Amino acid sequence: MNTERRISLEPGFVLHRTPYRDTSLLLEAFTAEHGRVGLVAKGARRPRSALKGLLQPFQPLLLSWAGRGELRTLTGAEPAERPAFLAGPALASGFYLNEMLLRLVARHDPQPDLYPVYARTLSTLTKSSDMEWALRLFERDLLLCLGYGLLLGDEADGGGAVQSEGHYWYHLERGPVPEQGGGGIPVRGETLLALAKGQPPNQQGRAEAKQLMRAALRLYLGDKPLASRALFRQFAGSKRPQPSGE
Amino acid sequence: MSASPLIAQLIESLRCLPGVGPKSAQRMAYHLLERDRDGARRLAEALVTAAEQVGHCARCRTFTESEVCDICSDERRDHSLLCVVESPADVQALEGSIDYRGLYFVLMGHLSPLDGIGPEDIGLDKLIERFDGADIREIILATNPTVEGEATAHYIGELSRERGIRATRLAHGIPLGGELEFVDGTTLSHAFLGRQAIE
Repeated sequence: MNTERRISLEPGFVLHRTPYRDTSLLLEAFTAEHGRVGLVAKGARRPRSALKGLLQPFQPLLLSWAGRGELRTLTGAEPAERPAFLAGPALASGFYLNEMLLRLVARHDPQPDLYPVYARTLSTLTKSSDMEWALRLFERDLLLCLGYGLLLGDEADGGGAVQSEGHYWYHLERGPVPEQGGGGIPVRGETLLALAKGQPPNQQGRAEAKQLMRAALRLYLGDKPLASRALFRQFAGSKRPQPSGE
Repeated sequence: MSASPLIAQLIESLRCLPGVGPKSAQRMAYHLLERDRDGARRLAEALVTAAEQVGHCARCRTFTESEVCDICSDERRDHSLLCVVESPADVQALEGSIDYRGLYFVLMGHLSPLDGIGPEDIGLDKLIERFDGADIREIILATNPTVEGEATAHYIGELSRERGIRATRLAHGIPLGGELEFVDGTTLSHAFLGRQAIE
């Protein structure tokens, strides 16, 4: 992939931006065909740069770039459709999605199946309908696209279909096991089927789904905590900010 | 010819300024040495004193060499209005162009979870003390209209709502003298949503 290439008007989103040199921005973008790419937006921090307002996270964009190597040079950006607004708690959820992609998707690894999942989740968040469940489904699909998909509709080791009224213990490497023995995450059949079908379960099911997803993601995220999750908690509870080191 | 060690050191040091590359650093260095030794001495002194003495205001966190900055200690200002901005330069911009008589709180940044910048890094514990300690009527959220600025404004807005303090946010709109055709879509839709009745 180290040959000089020009990519023109590729749909994508900015995941994160950091200042680069005096007047430029370093973007981590997530694009439809090319996955995550590192792009340098030259001059994007100049006072009159037209790109500055455009290159914001969560905006559907058409990105053009050129170059070789780890960082490519952004040659153009246009809005792809009407701008999306994330506000309040939806912003925290948006940061969470972006942090997950930054942590779990490597640069230049095309993710043609994950891109529509991300775009769809963002659009659900802007409508601020069932935000929590939208995040669960994103996590489910993220794991699937990365090749770590959870077994939800069937029991582990070819044990038959998951029964809605059944009680299971989920072993992350294997799947749901109907009898207790050797740990696992307790989860009801109802919840597993809700996750498989994408239909929101009741309050208890949501809590179980959250526990299950969190445990599954921890396998791949490692021990470093997610920064956006802390912000999310604070947004949701709006407690006093916790001083660091506690 | 390569510059002598002292000159090379000066050139290298000047490069810490924003927008100064090797060429402009060299031009500055030779200008100071050839034509303006006094200016160079003044600059050196000013840099040393500022770097050593300028700290943060105990109340609003802006830069000042006193314990409390001039704005915070001005009794004629309205102490029940608090405008929250991201940087000391924002205070200067607002002071220079609008007739605002309240106080400021300078965050020195914004919330940015992906960079690991959380509420305590931008002094929100101190802001909460201000909320609880004084009689504040209104919080004016003047963080930048970026995703991070928006998240920061929302967060502070929640904190003030819990305490029953009115929070307002600066309007986003079309620049004066601008033409609709050339305004970016996000700004335009913000301006449209925030339209006001003609009185």
